[in-house]
Amino acid sequence: MIKAVMVGQPNVGKSSLINAISNARLHVGNFAGVTVEKKEVELLNNRLKIVDLPGIYSLHAYTPEEEVTKKYLLFEEYDLIINVVDANVLQRNLVLTFQLLDMRKPTILVVNMIDELEEKGGKIDAQKLSILLGIPVVLASAKEKRGVEEMVELILKGFKCEWKIYYNDKIEDEIEKISSILNNHFQNPDLSRFYAIRLLEKDEDIYKIVHDLPIFLELYKVLGESIKRLSIEFDIPDVRDLFAQERNALAKSVVMQVLTPPPHKESLTQKIDKLLIHPILGLPIFLFFMWLIFQITFQVGSLPMEYIDQVVNNFANWLKTILPPGDLNSIITEGVIPAVGAILMFLPNILLLFLGINLLEQTGYMARAAFLLDGFLKRFGLQGKAFVPLVSGFGCTVPAYMAARTLKNPKDRLITMLILGFMNCSARLPVYVLLIAAFFPAYNAGNILFAIYITGALLGLIVAKILRTLLFKGEPEPFVMEMPPYRFPSLKALALELWYKAKIFIKKAGTFIAGAAMIIWFLSSYPKNPSLIQLYEQKMESAKTIQEKKALEEELKAKLLEQSYLGRVGKMIEPIFKPLGFDWRLSVAVVSGLSAKEVIVSTLATLYAVGEENEKGLIQKLRENIDFKTAVALIVIIMIYSPCVAAMGTFYSEVPNWAWRLFYTIYPNVLAWILAFGVYKLLERV
Amino acid sequence: MKLTQLKVGESGVIEKVVAPEPIKSRLFSMGITKGNRIKVIEHTLKKETWGVEVEGSKIALREEEAGAIEVKND
Ligand SMILES: Nc1nc2c(ncn2[C@@H]2O[C@H](COP(=O)(O)OP(=O)(O)OP(=O)(O)O)[C@@H](O)[C@H]2O)c(=O)[nH]1
Ligand SMILES: [Mg+2]
Repeated sequence: MIKAVMVGQPNVGKSSLINAISNARLHVGNFAGVTVEKKEVELLNNRLKIVDLPGIYSLHAYTPEEEVTKKYLLFEEYDLIINVVDANVLQRNLVLTFQLLDMRKPTILVVNMIDELEEKGGKIDAQKLSILLGIPVVLASAKEKRGVEEMVELILKGFKCEWKIYYNDKIEDEIEKISSILNNHFQNPDLSRFYAIRLLEKDEDIYKIVHDLPIFLELYKVLGESIKRLSIEFDIPDVRDLFAQERNALAKSVVMQVLTPPPHKESLTQKIDKLLIHPILGLPIFLFFMWLIFQITFQVGSLPMEYIDQVVNNFANWLKTILPPGDLNSIITEGVIPAVGAILMFLPNILLLFLGINLLEQTGYMARAAFLLDGFLKRFGLQGKAFVPLVSGFGCTVPAYMAARTLKNPKDRLITMLILGFMNCSARLPVYVLLIAAFFPAYNAGNILFAIYITGALLGLIVAKILRTLLFKGEPEPFVMEMPPYRFPSLKALALELWYKAKIFIKKAGTFIAGAAMIIWFLSSYPKNPSLIQLYEQKMESAKTIQEKKALEEELKAKLLEQSYLGRVGKMIEPIFKPLGFDWRLSVAVVSGLSAKEVIVSTLATLYAVGEENEKGLIQKLRENIDFKTAVALIVIIMIYSPCVAAMGTFYSEVPNWAWRLFYTIYPNVLAWILAFGVYKLLERV
Repeated sequence: MKLTQLKVGESGVIEKVVAPEPIKSRLFSMGITKGNRIKVIEHTLKKETWGVEVEGSKIALREEEAGAIEVKND
């Protein structure tokens, strides 16, 4: 099996290329730092394995996700490097290519996005580029699936590389001096040369490798002299600058020979940016977009709700008549189906929200939002780039924790991760939509939803500020971020992405949530108390009117529920939530939400399902059982308390420090309770 | 002169980047290197965040980093 690694600067289309040649569904997006961990894809019956790596601007890794790539390049086994570059910014990309060529590993250059360059009227001479660099060059477009087969064929067939890139003679002299010492140990001229260059560039990873070698003392002396000579010779304080300038000049001359530049013309991106990052209009437009996303999520998403509800109800009723009566019948038709149905109702809302986030990611607006918000975020001790994980948090907290890897400074990263829970994830959406529908006027629903998300975000920022002043003194990291050109997301890709999300959601509802619902149903139905049932049956027999009988029946159900396992547990935890006006059922629902936030809805559906003969929807039942201020307190709790176990697990694996893990596990819950209590008391007054 | 002394729409050739490491290397790797042409595209109202264009790519950076880029205006 051949193992190839995808290496290139961020956002050049590495993941897209892999998707184009395989049936992998790697996440792509139009901003730097989409891929943050390595992903392996096998194709052609395992004849070829391609490793997708996070984008890296240079071998001077800067952020943790770039570190992943660098470590992989230096320390893992692989057969060849696929260096992907963006045809539109060839010069900048070639600077990294030269650093990779220093490694002298088999490399092919894939010039991606050639469709965009050609559409603008530019051209690249692949043959000449190949001759100049000494490695095979493929012009490609992941979008049009151009050149991708050629790339695979080339890899399978094998190819030759000639090492033609040399620096200025004076620099090469010094490289030679250092590498000859290194070679005494490594017995590998290519590797020695690479290490020599990296050492001149003060690469700490390489420094660590050579530090314990017997040749180190000699090496150290020679290296110091070389660095001094080069600084004097080129009148430059830092040899790193020298290499940067050398490579830049080399790249410039290569580009001059192979590129027919497109005619100068104001691009669409430039025109759009005049409006979207306008100093005055930029922020209001951003807020409008966000408002629009939530408005559509609620208003449009609620349209098919009743229909879905109806279908699920009919299905349950139908199944009830088909299955033999008994426990299995009830567990399915009363336990699982209504609970899963209560969740499925929200599929349209969730898909619309994901569509909104996806558009942010795919169009290139994400980096603009980061630009616009940087000044604002700075006041809270964060930086613009933090916007990316924060927005992903509206979708799901798990990838959002991963996305925080794009933040360099460990303090920045930890603060961002500690407040990511305040960015309401899409799993909480069903709970909000349900509560809003039950307790707020319909005409304002979209705005209330928007307000909940904004409040969560602002609260997160305030907490960030407090953490920054109390626990993490120090400046936030500098903000530097590329703003890619706007790109039209392909409708097919958007549709596929949504379909994929829908599948995941339905699967989750059908497995995890159905399972949770089954447990909740069981715990709330057993143990049965025969003497109580007998007592009520006698009472019912002697009842005179139908209403009286009905009332007794409901009373029995309520009593049984209270005596169930779940009822007893609920009664135990009730005191904690009592000050917020929660009864035991709400308390249980909140706690069950720690498994997954949607479970809150299914638990409510099960626990408030007393007397289902009267065919009232969950919304109606909530209105009867919960008052307004309790509902608001519930929203506050859900907004702030711990995210689901999956998210917590991700946090633990990303943050190895036990003290922070403990803090992370406790503080949101305490804060949630205090704020919910405050809001509850406040509403009591008015 | 400093990049931040340019007006929106003006450009210059980079002479020197005086930021501390590792931010300096990061700026280099994004194309902000001596000899390249850089143009100011936009800045926020309070000039806290700047948008520049260099060798075909657009980059957002803070005032502090933008101020560390010295250019020759022409
Ligand atoms: N027009 C065009 N767009 C492309 C092409 N390849 C990728 N894109 C778009 O470029 C953007 C970046 O693609 P990704 O595949 O996420 O890039 P990446 O190199 O994996 O990025 P990171 O994971 O952030 O390093 C996406 O918006 C893609 O749709 C191409 O050949 N032509
Ligand atoms: Mg990627």
